[in-house]
Amino acid sequence: MKLNKTVLAALAAAMVAHSVSALAADKLVIYSNADEEAQEAMKHALDNNGFAGHYVIQAMGTSELGGKLMAEKKNIEADLITLSTYYLDSAQQKDHTFADLTFDHKAADGSEVSFYAPILGNTGALFVNTRVLKDSGLKAPERIADLADDVYAGKISVPDITGSSTSWLMTQALISEYGEEKGTAITRKIEENAGDHLEMSGSGPLKKIRAGEVAVGFGLRHQAVADKKKGLPVDVIDPKEGNFTLTEAVAVVDKGEKTNPDAMKAAEVIVKKARPELLKFYPFAIYPGEKVDQELVPAYPRAFKEKLTVELLKKHQEMVKDE
Amino acid sequence: MKQEQTVQGERFQKALLIAVIAVFTAALLSPLVRVLAQSFDGGLYAAFNNYSSVLLKKRMARVVWHSFAVSGSVATISTSVAFMFAYALWLTSIPKALKTVYRTCIMAAFLFPSITYGFAVIYSFGKQGLITRLLGFELPFSIYGFSGLVIAGTVYTLPYAFMLLSNAFSYISPNTRTVCAMLGDGPFRTFLMSALRPCASALVSSFLLTFFLNFTDFGIPSSVAGRYEVMATALYSTMMGALPDFGRGAAVAMAMLLPAILALIILRRGAMLQQSGDASSVQPMGTGKIYTILSVVYLSAVTLCLVSVFAVIFVLPFVENWPYKPVFTLSHIISAITDPQLASAYRNSLYVSALTVVFGLALCLGAALLSARPALGARASGLMDFLAMLTNTVPGMVLGVGFMFCFSGTALYGTFAIIVMSNIVHFFTTPYLMCKDALSRLNRGYEVTGALMGDSYIRTLTRIILPNIVPTICSAGAYLFINAMVTVSAVVFLCGAQTQVVTTRIRELQYFERYDAVFALSLLIFITNLIVKALSEVLPQAISRAGALRIRLFSNILERKIPNEA
Amino acid sequence: MLELDHVSRKFKNTYVLNNLTFSVSDGEIVSILGPSGCGKTTLLNIILGILSPTEGRILCDGQDITKVPMRQRGFNIVFQDYALFPNLSAYKNIIYGLRNRPEASSKTEVGDLIDLLDLRPHLEKRISELSGGQKQRVAIARTLVLKPRLLLLDEPLSALDGMIKESIKTRIRTIARRFKLTTIIVTHDPEEALSLSDRIMILHDTRIAQFAPPSEIISDPADAFVSRFICDQLRIKRENIRRIFEKSGNAA
Repeated sequence: MKLNKTVLAALAAAMVAHSVSALAADKLVIYSNADEEAQEAMKHALDNNGFAGHYVIQAMGTSELGGKLMAEKKNIEADLITLSTYYLDSAQQKDHTFADLTFDHKAADGSEVSFYAPILGNTGALFVNTRVLKDSGLKAPERIADLADDVYAGKISVPDITGSSTSWLMTQALISEYGEEKGTAITRKIEENAGDHLEMSGSGPLKKIRAGEVAVGFGLRHQAVADKKKGLPVDVIDPKEGNFTLTEAVAVVDKGEKTNPDAMKAAEVIVKKARPELLKFYPFAIYPGEKVDQELVPAYPRAFKEKLTVELLKKHQEMVKDE
Repeated sequence: MKQEQTVQGERFQKALLIAVIAVFTAALLSPLVRVLAQSFDGGLYAAFNNYSSVLLKKRMARVVWHSFAVSGSVATISTSVAFMFAYALWLTSIPKALKTVYRTCIMAAFLFPSITYGFAVIYSFGKQGLITRLLGFELPFSIYGFSGLVIAGTVYTLPYAFMLLSNAFSYISPNTRTVCAMLGDGPFRTFLMSALRPCASALVSSFLLTFFLNFTDFGIPSSVAGRYEVMATALYSTMMGALPDFGRGAAVAMAMLLPAILALIILRRGAMLQQSGDASSVQPMGTGKIYTILSVVYLSAVTLCLVSVFAVIFVLPFVENWPYKPVFTLSHIISAITDPQLASAYRNSLYVSALTVVFGLALCLGAALLSARPALGARASGLMDFLAMLTNTVPGMVLGVGFMFCFSGTALYGTFAIIVMSNIVHFFTTPYLMCKDALSRLNRGYEVTGALMGDSYIRTLTRIILPNIVPTICSAGAYLFINAMVTVSAVVFLCGAQTQVVTTRIRELQYFERYDAVFALSLLIFITNLIVKALSEVLPQAISRAGALRIRLFSNILERKIPNEA
Repeated sequence: MLELDHVSRKFKNTYVLNNLTFSVSDGEIVSILGPSGCGKTTLLNIILGILSPTEGRILCDGQDITKVPMRQRGFNIVFQDYALFPNLSAYKNIIYGLRNRPEASSKTEVGDLIDLLDLRPHLEKRISELSGGQKQRVAIARTLVLKPRLLLLDEPLSALDGMIKESIKTRIRTIARRFKLTTIIVTHDPEEALSLSDRIMILHDTRIAQFAPPSEIISDPADAFVSRFICDQLRIKRENIRRIFEKSGNAA
């Protein structure tokens, strides 16, 4: 009886201590907004370079992670963050959240940002479910602006600009091509046509395409290419307005003395060792010597004329939502 | 001796009281105060901005309306479906086994996380859904937004409504129907007097409870709301979205708290009106054939609908790629168990749930002891009841936001401890009431008797009082465990990368479109909960059987001894 | 007044009641007595009209009512659990039937009934505030308001204790005599049956074992079952009581 009690008390104490200290306090924590394939690529690189079992990756939506970063600043749980560069730029500008990278990460075009290294580029494109398209007797669109046509009402799915940065690729294209006023008007009409298929998540439209819920969608090019390769009835269409790209980069959170010593090494591994695999999924050359299969290169690559920042995103959001 | 034990009891309960108050101050009051304070952060002007943006801006006004519309519809549908279900079960004299099947089906929803229902609805009734394919035609309305929320919400809240209402029916004598006929009532009035009127307060309670549950639920809207924003998703995106605004988030949280408080105040009033007394032991006599047929048809139809929603959870994890490669495979299940990320989420969930049981039981038993067997007078007892009411009122999401304000940046943030802490407070009310009820049914004289036999207070507690409420402890434990397994509302704000639980992992898997894994994990949760539930029912029996065995062995020894001595 | 003519009832090919023939006369108090499972409740339900007999006829005042539905027979019943409406006050329960048949009783008649059953002080109470005996009296009043041709009482005393039992017994007799009300009581307690009724029907194994006045059952039990079921139980009770009184007499 007495023994029982002592054991119980000890057990309880151990449990308290354990739960407070968390399961594995020393593990390197990586927050990432990257897709599954990209995370897999990073995991492979880390696992093969001595980090196996010493890190955890937490996946989050882009705006979720961006918001968390803005709110928690250096207090964020993560040691390492991979995120769209416009968020990293804003966070650094406001709060100096990140430490400068100590390894060489100069891009092929000679550009270099001191506190992050790009790991992949996400390119936007249109895609269709060939089966549904045929069944519904629709013509495949050539331009994003085509989706504003009434015939597409209820048959398309696009991401919502307040929920997903993928949507921004579409808005950037429309604004670049048709100017701010007309561009946003078209965006609004497209959102109206999407109706219930206006998705908060960037991968939402492809999900709807896959499930056969809609005929045409806008989203990330590489995901649609992957589906096509898997034999799903999906086809990619590069819009005439251009394929815009958002770059995602890795950065090390500057926690002063408490900065995880492995963080910088892990960042280097991700940049140097994960790139070949990443390049397979995201055919967008960044570093010197990288080559991309011509077939996988989007037909009309373009970049937005202004520097991409959170503030610009917010401006575009407000223009589209008319708030 | 009695004197000394009383002193011990008082001392023990005083310590207990302090501990319970400390827990609630840290884990309930201060987070709530912080939410309120945060909405006023930056002065009155900022507060005005925060609240006016919730109340006056067109978008938020729409969101509030959406929440009311969805929750109101869910509450209406859920309550009426559950009422007819309970009525049909109560009325008809079909075989017990069949009744058990119906009852189990409607209650099974308890064991899944609400987030699963959203996905289940998409993959059941969507264009390529399992049911849509089986039926060969689509539902005539879109399952995203309003209708999806209502369908999933109804499935989620149905067991709660059913439990309340079937409990109400258990107090009604089926003889009432005969009496009505004898007194000249027609069928409608018979129904009114023998079913509807006696259940009136339970119906109100059920409406409010299902309304509240749905209003504060995050799991379903996070999966199926689409662009149809409700308060829960608005709160989440304000707190965790692209441009987090804590002041406004706090204001939204307060706005969510208000209707919840209102609903529960009315609910409490309703509970007081609830008839008490002994459950009716009268078996329903056979009703007419038409009634029986209608009842069975209705019961089967509802069950079929539920099964059709659940079916996808049981089917999809075993299908390679729905709907394009409908081939059987175990790989999703295997990967859910072996994939380190998925497996760790499952492990974490088990761990969190187990800790929630341990600490939750300690808290509930402590509080129940203070209120049901008070050594300190009625005031401590009243305080416990107040705390129970308060925790019941606070939506999980509001609690989560409060915890975030309180603990963000501290060493506690991102640990299991904080998740467990929010769980034991969030789920306090029901197990507390269960324990309190059981304790107050125990003979009042146990403490005195124990003292007269020379026991210390704590010894009486551990040897007499607690062993006598083992079945209650077990079911309270199961309640805590199951709820900790399925909750998402508070933990979504509190889980770090290393403390992911299954429900938050499911949310994450959503980004990757890994529905196979979503359903595989849901299935794991379901099976685990089923086992825990079964254990909680078997365990007390096993314990009492072991006890009986011990007594028998003991008396055998005695019997053998006595003749020898004689 | 009530006649059962070769009535049988089968459930799934086994007889629950087998070929019952008997009649009850006007204003008579009859107890149906038997151990549980003897078919008492089935018989009650058949008389009431909840169940219909598999074979045989039921007659009331010479009229065949076998096919007459429950609500048109003009019978009434007080259940063991009373089945009062918990949402209505005692008074509203009592006059409940009048909203369907306002001509059944006048205001004075209802008032008399309330006084007869001593319910005046309890009229505005909620059902949950009444004691067991009070609930039963409300339930009886509720049925009597409609002036039934036949009153069935299902285990009327089993939920009551001690002195209340005796007072209810007296009331049941008073009512039956005053209103010339044919009353059928279902019970499993021989003592209740013997002290309350004019005649007792003992059911055993789906059949009538004996149907006779109390005195005859005591003096001349029809078979071994009757003597065992009734007389033995009573004898034991008598012995116990005598012993207690002797002891207390010795002590004094």
